[in-house]
Amino acid sequence: MKTNGDLRYAIANTVYSAGEGHIPSAYSIIDIINVIYGKFLNINKNDVTNKDRDYFILSKGHGAVAYYVVLEKYGFITKEDLMTKSKENAILGGHPDCTKVPGVEASTGSLGHGAVTALGIALGLKIKQQKNKVITIIGDGESNEGSIWESALVAANLKLGNLCYVIDNNKSTEQILPMTDMAKKWESFGWEVYEIDGHDEEEILKTFQKIDFSYVGKPKLIIANTIKGKGVSFIEGHGPWHHKVPSDEELQAIKEELL
Amino acid sequence: MSENIFNQTSKNLKKKMRQEFADTMLEVGMKDENLVVLIGDISHFVLQPFAKACPNRFYNIGICEQTITNMAAGLSKVGFYPVIHTINPFIVERSFEQLKLDFGYQKLGINIITVGSAFDYGALGSTHHCYGDFALLKTIENMQIIYPASCEEFNTLFKQTYANGFPTFFRIPEAQHQMDLGNITFGKGVLVREGKNVTIIAIGPQLKTAIEAANMLAKDNISAEIIYLHTIRPFDKELVNKSINKTKKCIVIEEHGKYGGVFDDVLRESKDIMNVKYRSINIGDKFIHKYGTYKQHCERLGFTPENICDKIKKELL
Repeated sequence: MKTNGDLRYAIANTVYSAGEGHIPSAYSIIDIINVIYGKFLNINKNDVTNKDRDYFILSKGHGAVAYYVVLEKYGFITKEDLMTKSKENAILGGHPDCTKVPGVEASTGSLGHGAVTALGIALGLKIKQQKNKVITIIGDGESNEGSIWESALVAANLKLGNLCYVIDNNKSTEQILPMTDMAKKWESFGWEVYEIDGHDEEEILKTFQKIDFSYVGKPKLIIANTIKGKGVSFIEGHGPWHHKVPSDEELQAIKEELL
Repeated sequence: MSENIFNQTSKNLKKKMRQEFADTMLEVGMKDENLVVLIGDISHFVLQPFAKACPNRFYNIGICEQTITNMAAGLSKVGFYPVIHTINPFIVERSFEQLKLDFGYQKLGINIITVGSAFDYGALGSTHHCYGDFALLKTIENMQIIYPASCEEFNTLFKQTYANGFPTFFRIPEAQHQMDLGNITFGKGVLVREGKNVTIIAIGPQLKTAIEAANMLAKDNISAEIIYLHTIRPFDKELVNKSINKTKKCIVIEEHGKYGGVFDDVLRESKDIMNVKYRSINIGDKFIHKYGTYKQHCERLGFTPENICDKIKKELL
């Protein structure tokens, strides 16, 4: 089985069942979210509002299905929730909704919001002198948004060492508005920058573990180099699969590649 | 002509509204350690007493209104009562989506305290005007809208609402109506003067103009009832309809554009009362291209006692 082949297949199956979803954008972040929930952050499925919890926000909300299958894997939601995604009375939709899904901290979808909410949480925790960590995943395309760069200035100025942005650098904006020299850009804004393979779980975990999340310090940026659709040969890359639903045959082909 | 309201400047007011904002932040902040104030590089001098008394709870974030607004959602999530403060259009219009999604949809509490009401920055031009704010904000579920036009009102209404978990917008004007309205309650309008021939509904500093108009009408034996709404949303339907039921004639005086202001609320909420005549004095639906003083803007736009009287006599009675 390929890395997180089960989760990747669950993503495809959820999109197939819902008739809607962004598979490639989910495949590029699935390994990162699996590490965050499975091995790193302290978030208890039975006490999702505990004040001592760490905070995760999926700012690139269209990667929601990756988030959902991880939430299901660790018991926050059920398989039935996955299979009813986007149905009329479902708790899961095309983007994560904190008013419906246990453990989701912010309703994202409009880009450039979730990261800034995370910034505010980090400031709040710093004022309270609490040691919780705050991690958010933003997209490289989302980095086109002005609010991301406003927040880059503000987080550095406020010395929010407890805040970590992970850029899902899946090259979605490479041919549109390229985010060149990303590491240099963020370093020049005053952030501590790491660059990793966003599909290597060991490297992802080691990077998180070596970060000093003390609430006074430079905010952290991890550039996670990823591939849209990673794991299934015919989905990989920037193309027609962005918001495509697999047919019966395609779902079978995805299964054969992954499991 | 009411010289009191038109000629109001910081010099002849006992206390400026912006000073009251700062004093109220200090008063509440000293008692409640969950009050945090974020500003967009205005009013920093006047807020220094709060900054000194409440360390780590005052931040001059910079000139980045989307981020100031959005990050307040994070503060709210971890239990604070955030206050954000800058000039009206730069929050309501520039950061509208943040207000809609981060607070309205997620039902998070925030206190948005703005200066630059309507055409208060008359001399600065259209970039600093904002008179579609009520229309925009009323489209956001859960948004409370308060328009206090005296220092006491701001202090009272802020204390009544700041921690109630809802997003609350305060439009702070520079001019004040200079009336003592006694005890006031969020969401409840004030019957300022009883009358029987016509209902004048006034908001903001225009209450003063409305009172001047009512005094002039009284000389002609026309009895005007005056209702003052410091809370724009929720709308006090009961008080308004009781008066309209009695007079069957209503005029709304509001420093707001033609669409989506209090006049629209009055029409909608009183639509089941038959045979009522309505009029409105508002800013209209055009950009204001003129500069000048508050007084000049008021006179040009018709916010004068004479114009109110004229309209009532010619078009309602």
